[in-house]
Amino acid sequence: MFKKIKRNLKIFLLFGYQSLKTTGQSRQAIFLFTLGKILRFIFLFGVIFLVFSKTKIIAGWSLKQVVILYLTFNFIDTFSQLLYREVYRFRPQVISGNLDLILVKPYHPFLRVLVGGVDFLDLLLLVPYFFLLLFFIFQEKISFFSFFLYLTLVINGLIISTAFHIFVLALGLLTTEVDNAIMIYRDILNLGRFPIEIYQQIISFIFTFIIPIGVMITFPVKALFNFLNFNNVVFAFFISFLFLLLSIKFWQIGLKKYQSAGG
Amino acid sequence: MISVKNLTKIYKVYRKTGNLINDIFFRRYENILALDKVSFEISKNELVGFIGPNGAGKTTTLKILSGILYPTSGKVSVLGFSPFEKKEAFLKQISFVMGQRNQLIWDLPAIDTFLLNKEIYELDEEKFKKNLQKLTAIFSAEKLIQKPVKMLSLGERMKMEFIAALLHQPKIVFLDEPTIGLDIFSQEAIRNFIKDYQKEFKATIILTSHYLEDVKKLAKRLIIINKGKILYDGSLTTILQKFSSLKYVSLILEKEVKEEVLFKIGKPIAYQFPKVVFRIQKKDLPQVVAFINDQIPYLDLAIEDEKIEEVIKNLFENHKD
Repeated sequence: MFKKIKRNLKIFLLFGYQSLKTTGQSRQAIFLFTLGKILRFIFLFGVIFLVFSKTKIIAGWSLKQVVILYLTFNFIDTFSQLLYREVYRFRPQVISGNLDLILVKPYHPFLRVLVGGVDFLDLLLLVPYFFLLLFFIFQEKISFFSFFLYLTLVINGLIISTAFHIFVLALGLLTTEVDNAIMIYRDILNLGRFPIEIYQQIISFIFTFIIPIGVMITFPVKALFNFLNFNNVVFAFFISFLFLLLSIKFWQIGLKKYQSAGG
Repeated sequence: MISVKNLTKIYKVYRKTGNLINDIFFRRYENILALDKVSFEISKNELVGFIGPNGAGKTTTLKILSGILYPTSGKVSVLGFSPFEKKEAFLKQISFVMGQRNQLIWDLPAIDTFLLNKEIYELDEEKFKKNLQKLTAIFSAEKLIQKPVKMLSLGERMKMEFIAALLHQPKIVFLDEPTIGLDIFSQEAIRNFIKDYQKEFKATIILTSHYLEDVKKLAKRLIIINKGKILYDGSLTTILQKFSSLKYVSLILEKEVKEEVLFKIGKPIAYQFPKVVFRIQKKDLPQVVAFINDQIPYLDLAIEDEKIEEVIKNLFENHKD
């Protein structure tokens, strides 16, 4: 078991190293990509401050709480993009038939199609997000337990994000007609950069129970400020476990139904 | 080593009707029978050629044998494994090369992919170096491995694909149209490589190709497949005995001969003095030769078998719906 984990880790790191080498080939792209992301981050950060210049509370959330939520969103989103960048390249792999050559390799295909293309450009942004997040969190009076629960629920959010990415991969196996399914996920996730309470009740319900982006992003921050009751914490872990399980099952069904290009 | 019994594969394919509403809301799917109860066995160190027109089921067979596709029904055993289970121990013993598809990392030199495969297949340093040296030497490609893949020609890239696929010395190699799109020199290089590899590593190789030349030069055994059914499974020589009913008789005439005399044999398929060629039924050969000896003055006489390409073409045409 340990040997297997060690081998998988070695392959993962090698994929990462090669991804870094590939990224390093185009310096202009690095510059433009990073600049675009920084500008978007600053712009939305500015919007939050602009909104709070007109009001003190939005749906029960203060400015600092919304800022922490926004940074938490950015952290989870950027971390997912860093780790799961290869998912964005999955459909071309299926259409070109190159996926077949991945499926005959003696490792779990997730090593390649899920985490095989670590995007180091996102790492450039993840580090400042992380420190900004810590900076804002430690300005608040937070208990150790709340902080611990926050961290656990952030990890839980990353598990839900993993499940979403696996769903996208499985969908890519089942049909090549859904172009850029990952972009649908991203569009939905973007709604989570604000507290789910700002949405109508029905949308808030959907974002908690059906497409749990609220559990991914709003729940950790609620836990940080002691807004989350015990039942919701248990529910958060349950839904991430269920989502992960379902996504893996969906992937397995996808593999069975996979027809392969040119087959 | 490979055992296939009653293998069937059905693809579910979406059929467009041309009506936008129907195509979006009331989709029609069609079941396409890609393989229809196919059975065969392949032993160790065999090189088998799979021949068939587009959509015959060649690639589907290979993809099921390698575990890429899940069979609809039937039993498949490769090296004692059920391929679709994708056990690591199984996958470490096989390899798949597909023409015009690649496992190489586009922006980096091929050596980077080789190093990656070294870890994936858990090759020790010594074995990796030894195999890499051997394989690059067969292709005389020692310098190419350091060039970024995107800078290589198609032929050079295919050579690198082969090296990447065979570094771990697989026991079974699936080759799907490996020479497609290559010039004649690269085709020859690939064929020689396959031959040398099989001899050196005692591998079992299954090859599909549109170029019959590949199969003629490499495979002793031929499996002909059409519309998901096996039409023939046997040696290249037996196929002529079994399915060829024609012979070609070529004559170099000594002097011009009246057409009526020539037409007694049959209508020549080519006639430009002094050369005349007849296509005759195999069973008529003794009488025809006797007639020629008796009635036609000639300088040279040659009797040839029907070309294997024609035999196979006829075989496909006879099995059209």
